[in-house]
Amino acid sequence: MSQQVEILLIEDSPEDAELTIRALRRNKLANEIQVVEDGAEALDFLFCRGSFKDRTPSEYPKLVLLDLKLPKVSGMEVLRAIRDDERTRAIPVVVLTSSKEERDLMEGYKLGVNAYAQKPVDFEQFAETVRQIGMFWMLINKLPPPGEAVATRAQGA
Amino acid sequence: MTLSSKAIALCALIIVICIGALSFWSESRNEDDRQWVTHTLLVVEKLQAVRIDITQAETGQRGYILTGKDRYLELYEAGVNQVRQDMKELPDLTADNAREREAIKRLDPLVAYRLAELAEGIEVRQRSGLLAGAEAVTHGNNGEKWMGQIAAQIGEMRQTEANLLNIRLGKAAASTRKMKIVIACGNSLAILILLVKGFVIHWETCQRNLAEQNLQRANEKLKRRTAELSETNIELESFAYSVAHDLRAPLRHIAGYSGVLTQDYGPRLDAEGLRCLGKIADCARQMGHLVDDLLGLSQIGRQKLSFRQTALGSLVAQAIEDLAPEFAGRHVEWQIAELFNAECDPGLMKQVFTNLLSNAVKYTRRRKRAVIQVGQTRQNEERVVFVRDNGVGFDMQHAKKLFGVFQRLHKARDFEGTGVGLAIVQRIIRKHGGRIWANAELGQGATFYFTLGTRENKTREQPDSVHEEATHVATS
Repeated sequence: MSQQVEILLIEDSPEDAELTIRALRRNKLANEIQVVEDGAEALDFLFCRGSFKDRTPSEYPKLVLLDLKLPKVSGMEVLRAIRDDERTRAIPVVVLTSSKEERDLMEGYKLGVNAYAQKPVDFEQFAETVRQIGMFWMLINKLPPPGEAVATRAQGA
Repeated sequence: MTLSSKAIALCALIIVICIGALSFWSESRNEDDRQWVTHTLLVVEKLQAVRIDITQAETGQRGYILTGKDRYLELYEAGVNQVRQDMKELPDLTADNAREREAIKRLDPLVAYRLAELAEGIEVRQRSGLLAGAEAVTHGNNGEKWMGQIAAQIGEMRQTEANLLNIRLGKAAASTRKMKIVIACGNSLAILILLVKGFVIHWETCQRNLAEQNLQRANEKLKRRTAELSETNIELESFAYSVAHDLRAPLRHIAGYSGVLTQDYGPRLDAEGLRCLGKIADCARQMGHLVDDLLGLSQIGRQKLSFRQTALGSLVAQAIEDLAPEFAGRHVEWQIAELFNAECDPGLMKQVFTNLLSNAVKYTRRRKRAVIQVGQTRQNEERVVFVRDNGVGFDMQHAKKLFGVFQRLHKARDFEGTGVGLAIVQRIIRKHGGRIWANAELGQGATFYFTLGTRENKTREQPDSVHEEATHVATS
């Protein structure tokens, strides 16, 4: 049985995925990274469906790195699905994308994204951005105990 | 109503008035002519009366002589009185005609002799009786001779008057005819003018309707074109955005893999290999800036302005703070005047100041003492902000290209840049409804001026100060 996935990287570009993974690894930040190339696959992974139906349902990643421009199911839809389900609601989601459109930023925050970063063109800046995101969410941030359902205030728990 | 149409109306009015005046004048002349005709008839009648009255006197005289009755004497006396009255009136009636006056002078003694003769007959009858009287009437006087002469004289005078009557009737008829012609001509002319006027009005109305229709059509076309254009603009902006966006990913990969190459295989490359790798990274970085600027430009094009009352001075201060790394270690003298408050989008206006001041910092790089001024001035009621530097300036010949996208007036070797900064500035200013322009001289620095078209920017104060206000505030 494979080790528990620590980071779910939702990224349709293999180059971006490779460069992101490389930056994380060089900083010894994640032993187990799962890459999915579109939104539908991401949801299959999170909710243990399709090719991920054998995954242990209670094991959720510590961080989701989400690109917005994705085939099939867009990044925003993935984000909405994660926030709509109380099992996945507490998972930190960081948008890492090319777009810095104000509209995307607004929508991302409306849907409850934890952080929003634009991928810098410059290699060193890119590596630094990925490092800082990984450092914070993997090492500094504290998550609620696994298996605890998190209800939103709106649902009046 | 047009000028020509007014002139036509005035013409018609004048003609109608003239015809009225002419008719009046003509009518009064006609009246005179008719009076003369009446007068002539009166004279003729009076002459006739003279003959009748003399005959009446004769009849009375003879009756008296034959009968001795007073009734005939009265008839005689009435006739005589009537004749005298007639003869008294005649000169007045013929005062206008010298020839008739002469005729009356000749008629007068004839009538007088005849009357004297008649009186003599009466006297003889009263004095000597019927036979003597009858004798006096039949043999003693020249009654027939006198009456013949009187009749001849009156006949002559009547002939004269008849001639006069003919002339006067002719004159009256002629003036009536003339008047008719004048009225007919005048009225025809007036009607013609009114017809022309009516036609002109009709024509003008048609023209106006046509022009209105054309205008409406042009307006609709313009509306359609505007809608099409704004749609095209939005499409273009979206296109620019997605192109720039999609270009960014492969660029990041080029930069990323050359970075990986440097990190992992750098030690195995020689100096030339490392230089080429560095070049690849530099080019990718440069292109990254271009793409980012292009994205920014298209973003501004699509962005809706959110207006707020803003102190422009605070935006300048923030921009200078943000630019600090760009002039670190240099001597820059900032002369920042107090600026007005304007209704504008603060985020975008800060970008305007950032771009303009960044340019000022860049192009004063070679000055030992860089002076950058920000101030305000007025141009016709409009408040103008200016940013001035004592940098390298530019040739005004190329000023047209200044605000174009990717247009640069300096070599990249001398001054780096993408040629988008001023295009962004211009786009923001235009979105605010303002104008931007520049003044410069090669080697002498440049000044950029802009206005904000918003209502608040139109000063309500008197344009008393036309001088630029730029005061020394800080040096760095």
